[in-house]
Amino acid sequence: MIRLGRIGPIVHLTALILMVALALPALSGTPLEISRYLANAIGQLAAFAVLAISLDLIWGYLGILSLGHGLFFALGGYVMAMYLLKHSFVVTGTVPDFLQFMGWKDFPFYWAGFDFFPYALAVATAVTLLISGIFGYVSFRSRVGGVYFAIITQALVYVAMLLMFRNDTGFGGNNGMTGFSVLFGWQMGTSSMITALAVASLVVLALVLLLCRQLVRSRFGALMLATRDDETRLRTLGYETLRLKLLVWCLSALIAMVAGMLYVPQVGIINPRVLSPELSLEIAVWVAIGGRGHLVGAVIGALLVNAVKFWLSSAAPEIWPFILSGLIVLVVLVFPNGLMDLAKFRLTRPMGPKRMAEEMEEARP
Amino acid sequence: MKLARLTAAAGLLAGLLFAPGLRADTLDRAGLVQELCGDAGAMGRAGAALVATAASGSAQDRAFAAPLARAVIDRKLGCDDAGAVLDEGGLDAVSRTPRAAAGTPRSPLLSLKNRPVFELADAAFALRGAPDIAQRAAALKTLERRPAQIPEGLLDTAAAAESDAGLKEQIDTLAQTAALNASDPAARIRAIGRVAETPSRRALTRIAALASDPVYAANPEFRRAVDAATARIERGIALGDTLATLYNGLSFASILFMAAIGLAIIFGLMGVINLAQGELIMIGAYVTWLVQQGLRVAAPALLDWYLVLAIPVAFLATAAIGIALEALLLRHLYKRPLMSLLATWAVSLFLVNLVRVIFGTQNMQFETPFYVSGGVPVIGDFIFTWNRMFAIAFAVVTLALTWGVVRRTPLGLNIRAVTQNRDMAACIGIPTRRVDMMAFGFGSGLAGLAGLALSPIYSVNPQMGQNFIIDSFMVVVLGGVGTIAGTVVAALGIGQINVLIEPLWGAVAAKVIVLLMIIGFLQWRPEGLFAVKGRRK
Repeated sequence: MIRLGRIGPIVHLTALILMVALALPALSGTPLEISRYLANAIGQLAAFAVLAISLDLIWGYLGILSLGHGLFFALGGYVMAMYLLKHSFVVTGTVPDFLQFMGWKDFPFYWAGFDFFPYALAVATAVTLLISGIFGYVSFRSRVGGVYFAIITQALVYVAMLLMFRNDTGFGGNNGMTGFSVLFGWQMGTSSMITALAVASLVVLALVLLLCRQLVRSRFGALMLATRDDETRLRTLGYETLRLKLLVWCLSALIAMVAGMLYVPQVGIINPRVLSPELSLEIAVWVAIGGRGHLVGAVIGALLVNAVKFWLSSAAPEIWPFILSGLIVLVVLVFPNGLMDLAKFRLTRPMGPKRMAEEMEEARP
Repeated sequence: MKLARLTAAAGLLAGLLFAPGLRADTLDRAGLVQELCGDAGAMGRAGAALVATAASGSAQDRAFAAPLARAVIDRKLGCDDAGAVLDEGGLDAVSRTPRAAAGTPRSPLLSLKNRPVFELADAAFALRGAPDIAQRAAALKTLERRPAQIPEGLLDTAAAAESDAGLKEQIDTLAQTAALNASDPAARIRAIGRVAETPSRRALTRIAALASDPVYAANPEFRRAVDAATARIERGIALGDTLATLYNGLSFASILFMAAIGLAIIFGLMGVINLAQGELIMIGAYVTWLVQQGLRVAAPALLDWYLVLAIPVAFLATAAIGIALEALLLRHLYKRPLMSLLATWAVSLFLVNLVRVIFGTQNMQFETPFYVSGGVPVIGDFIFTWNRMFAIAFAVVTLALTWGVVRRTPLGLNIRAVTQNRDMAACIGIPTRRVDMMAFGFGSGLAGLAGLALSPIYSVNPQMGQNFIIDSFMVVVLGGVGTIAGTVVAALGIGQINVLIEPLWGAVAAKVIVLLMIIGFLQWRPEGLFAVKGRRK
């Protein structure tokens, strides 16, 4: 499975990402300058890649599939949107649309302090840790895992979506929040701001990649793989897997939250559709296509799928779902390790003896 | 001329003399006609006599008097020296034999005060005697404008004779209103008692309005009657609401059950959650629609029975999709349940978009056959509607069918064996792969049936499956893996809780609370309500 010695790709990829991050501002003003649209797309892709890493950490390395990671992504996104709106309001005095829509005079009381970014960040972190901590604790304690866990996380994100669709919650309701004008005192929507956001996303991606590489290469990472492959044995050996799973789960939720915070200023809107079960399932698809259990695979999967999606959503939006479902079927049937298989040209017949043997070995309750 | 005037004066005198003697049961026909030709006061008395005749006169008297009221309103009554002539047909007003008008006929003009009385009389005659339903309904509309003037007994006898059920109900309603506004307190109290017999929100508003009536403060007996009726109606409404909640919960539960039972069987057998189950429900509904359209073209006479005729078609179509899905895709993924989640999601994405491309995103139009339309009012505002009953009955039949297949057929025996221990079942020669395929087909077919049962209640569009899938997951998680009893109990529980919470805090809160309860419940029993006893895997 994962050979711990394979360190090359991650470092290479990180270097590549940082080079792009350097190139973006360096090229501005030169004839090679890339368009605003492309710079924005690169930034969004980087945010998605961070999100994919967060899921790969828990699914690829711990064997726990969450179909509700969109919840933490949206949490980061919503808090960022709250900061942006409040900040824009303080600086420019523009009253957010949803307040006017609801006919409210002032922000609800829980918006207090959101114009101060460190506070918003602290709130996002605290809420993410609270939700992931409680949910993870009750689930892992009663040893809910596998398909059960996947379904309950999906129900969680679905319920959160229903909740956010309500207009009276003070979070924008079904229209969401939009109309951000100022970020850290700078005007949004300018070329330099778009480039800056893209660079920030790329740098965060590189950092997250390196952090996770250190984590999975450490002794702790070995325990994660052991938990994935045979949790019962690890427990029998005296390791407390509950704490381990909970830690990784919360870390994964935090990374997803960071991805959401990077994503929202770049798209300029957040609405409850981010919480739809489809998006959360799509994250799993990116990871599966890229190759779960490989950080590089998750990044490449997210970049590739979303790049195709960006391109097709303008060229031929009708056929994108068909292509996506075809890709998934291809990956689950022919390339069980996603593009990582393709990289090694390791085509296996679905029910061939080699694959069977692998699956028997891989099979986990 | 002089003679005519004399006769008129004499007639007036006679009318005045005979007026007290005018009785509904013994209608003085000549006197009535004479009064009709008299002055405003005489005509008013004649109008009152007509109204009384309409309410309690004999059939012959009514037949005699009805044309008179009409003729006066239409100004088709000609008063002449020898009495009066009905313009229509030139008949004498009293004897109803043909005769020519004597002298210059004069048609009496209704005063503003008398017109309503005559209109009332005319409407009352029409309500009891008109052959056409439309005429009777129009007459009722006229009467509804002045409920206080309607003579007692008229509406009751009219309702008793009415053949049309809808109109009869309207007449009864008006009768109650009229009686509640009667001048005699005893009659009003009787009416209050009658209204209270059929409690509903409308009855409550009607009785509650009486509390502001001056009589309520003055007459203690009346007050007691009103208060007692209010209490009784409120009890009836509360009971009706409770029953309605239970009934809605039951119908929601039966839909949840149908959506979840296939899921539960497949999950129990193979450990695969079929994320495309919702889309199979959607396909079942679309197949039902196709059957309806097919019947419309091929056999319009059978169109009403499309829901029944579609049962085998919907089952077989979705079962075929399920078998294909199993054979082509899931067969290769049994050891990787998480991957099978993604694979079935891909299938669901594919099916939704395929249906969207073929049929469009709009809601499908379904006929409403007679056996799923309307309902029976039971108590309060609770109506026992047939479309919900259809879903409940369908779920019960599905339950019986599933139970029969799982418990009583060789396939069911094999399914149970493989669910308990796949390796051991394979060792004793059960073809586990084929059992998987058949079971998957069976579970998918049940989803198709769920779609069929949904089509008279819910809107059918490509997105519909997604509304059920998470709820039915919750049923499976709560009920436990692969047990029919667990699925039934979990579906009933979740259905009722949803319906109970919804009116209090809204649909979203109901979903949140149900999810939290399930997460909490899993702390206590991680394997679901009806877990198969054995080693924890």
